[in-house]
Amino acid sequence: MANNVSVNVCASTDLNSQDMDPDNITRMIILGPKAEVSESEVVNYIHLLGLPVTTKLTCYGAMVSGKEEDVLNVIKEVRKLDPYNLFSRDRGFPIGDPRRCRGHRYGPREGFHQMESEYKLLEDVSDALKNPKEVSLEKEKRMDLDELEQIFSEN
Amino acid sequence: MVKVAIFPPNSLILADLIERKGHESLALQKAVRKKVIDPEIDSPPMNISEEDPIKGLKYAAIEVPSGVRGRMSIIGPLIDEAEAAIIVDKAPFGFGCIGCARTNELSTFCMRKRGVPTLELVYPTNRDETIDMVNKINTFLDGLNNKEE
Repeated sequence: MANNVSVNVCASTDLNSQDMDPDNITRMIILGPKAEVSESEVVNYIHLLGLPVTTKLTCYGAMVSGKEEDVLNVIKEVRKLDPYNLFSRDRGFPIGDPRRCRGHRYGPREGFHQMESEYKLLEDVSDALKNPKEVSLEKEKRMDLDELEQIFSEN
Repeated sequence: MVKVAIFPPNSLILADLIERKGHESLALQKAVRKKVIDPEIDSPPMNISEEDPIKGLKYAAIEVPSGVRGRMSIIGPLIDEAEAAIIVDKAPFGFGCIGCARTNELSTFCMRKRGVPTLELVYPTNRDETIDMVNKINTFLDGLNNKEE
């Protein structure tokens, strides 16, 4: 157990040359609650693009890693599948890094709680992007008693 | 393209909205990425190199705990690079760069002190507030485009 836990925090990384390349980036693609595509569709679509990137299917969407230009191209193309329900952000660690990957550690990875919290807002965010509308944040006030009495007395 | 610093610095929603408008978000992950491939560091950002607290001295005094200085050595340069900033305040625990309230205070202070265009919002708690937040962010980012032209 002790040895396994130490994998989480020690430099037992088995990163390949691609992961160690400073020009490489990793991006996460996260599907919103109203997404009209599935995670596997997204990953298949990325494979079909034929770009030299590494991709991984995850429970929330997908991860893409490769040269910055290629990865940004992938994000641009994938967004076309469902522009308002696919979200993307950078990821510090490469795909499958033993320091973060759940396959090598216990419990959720550090960034999961952040994503879980923001996921609750994604439905409203995608609605706001799809159908932008003005909203009023003023709370409705109760009618003044005198005003109410006046209305009744008039009738 | 304007470089926009965000708070919380690892927010998915903020980073995504900024990118949609064609700007660059100065997200924490980009800074962490540089650390990840550094052979000196075992598990960034949980541990840091000897140099990091020294770099953090630019942002926090020597009396400040080394944890704050260590964190600021990563977040501080992002704020210095910023040409605009978006701050979402009162985010609940578990959202954003948690773990150190003092770092969060110092980060927002540094962003305000920079004097760049800054949008300050409160973390939304319902649907209307979320829609309003997205509208305000989009209007702010469009304004940056106009300023650039």
